[in-house]
Amino acid sequence: MKRLAIAGLLVAIVLVQVTWAPRITVAGAFPNLALVAVIAITWSAGVRQGMAWACVAGLLLDLTADGPLGPHAVALLAGAYLSGFWVRNLDRESLLHPVIAAAASTAIYSAVLVLADDLLGLPVPSLGIALQLVVAASVYNAALMPVALAAGRKLHSPVTRRAEPV
Amino acid sequence: MYGRSQPRSTGLFLALCATMLVLAMVTEQTWAEGARGAVKSTLAPLEAAMTQLAGNLDRVSSAFGDVSALRAENQQLTAADQALRRQVVELNAAAKENAALRQALDFERSYGHRMVAAQIVGRGPDGFSRTLEVDRGTADGVQPGMIVTTGAGLVGRVQEAGPHGAIVQTLADPQSRVNVFLSKSGLQGTVTGGPAALQLEIEHSLAGTASGGEWALTSGVGGGYPRGLVVGELASVTHRDSSTSDQAVVAWVNDPAFISLVLVITDFVPS
Repeated sequence: MKRLAIAGLLVAIVLVQVTWAPRITVAGAFPNLALVAVIAITWSAGVRQGMAWACVAGLLLDLTADGPLGPHAVALLAGAYLSGFWVRNLDRESLLHPVIAAAASTAIYSAVLVLADDLLGLPVPSLGIALQLVVAASVYNAALMPVALAAGRKLHSPVTRRAEPV
Repeated sequence: MYGRSQPRSTGLFLALCATMLVLAMVTEQTWAEGARGAVKSTLAPLEAAMTQLAGNLDRVSSAFGDVSALRAENQQLTAADQALRRQVVELNAAAKENAALRQALDFERSYGHRMVAAQIVGRGPDGFSRTLEVDRGTADGVQPGMIVTTGAGLVGRVQEAGPHGAIVQTLADPQSRVNVFLSKSGLQGTVTGGPAALQLEIEHSLAGTASGGEWALTSGVGGGYPRGLVVGELASVTHRDSSTSDQAVVAWVNDPAFISLVLVITDFVPS
């Protein structure tokens, strides 16, 4: 039941990302709600769940973009994997770490997406434009992370409690 | 625990990455384009519903003030202003062209291009892909390569199409290239995409130099776009004597974040 709820939530998040989010563009970038959600899931439920949901959210994003299915899923996987390292090695309760993780994951996500697009022969921006977009998106996503984390923890609270006793 | 979970998650990460890359390579093949378009079309109705919901929420919020009404009025005035500016541009450009080219500028009436009106239901999922998703597809006669415009001017080109939806590469896409001419100086150049504004590289000519306030229209050179579609107004021009070209920033007539309706030209075949 919870998985169904998360799947529904991810569909809604992706739809919001491709319909509403572009209206609040700053410096050419707008929030990547799917990435923020995946990081929040990774932070609150663990890296394996985070990566599984990254595939789902990534394929949903691929359905809304031009080109083949897969590049966004690979990029989100990389973001979730990086966040997983953070979760294992740093203090989960600190708010600063997920915020920094969101910014770092955005950079990794962008780099992997551009690389995947380039390998697949899809359009990629020039380095200068890409850097501008990455910086703006990193700040944007990092700012949204505390809210997403609070929602993610609420959704996954029983799982978190089971994982904590050690 | 650390020692065991890390290799496991790394293995899962690599396996999932490999699966997704294989999926990407398979769905990239030309024989898979039909199926890919059909799968992508499945999300279009949900996006249309979400866009509709956004519109309804805007209307609900208007009950708490007149911000929404003012915004709508502002959009109407902006649209009217754009239409008037386009007419001025077209008239100015037409004055410099012969009668046949004047007809080309007024393609909608004189050439009688067939068009399909389509609603924007979604936009690219991140800043790297400057695309729009529309609710018309192959079932409505929309095919990849077709040109997309609004009343104000050029929007882009259909990149891929499914039965009931299509993805449009806009001029803002980093890989977009449009050959244009300038309304006053007649100079030619190429407009490329960018996140903030369109960039124009203008070829030097003995005929004159470009100046701010000029309008850029599609030149038809290369056969990718019909001649005479308005692209935008030159916001600034940087002259470079040491180079064979000048750089300019073009204020696009369309703001992709706020376009809601577009026209797909269905009878122009790019060469």
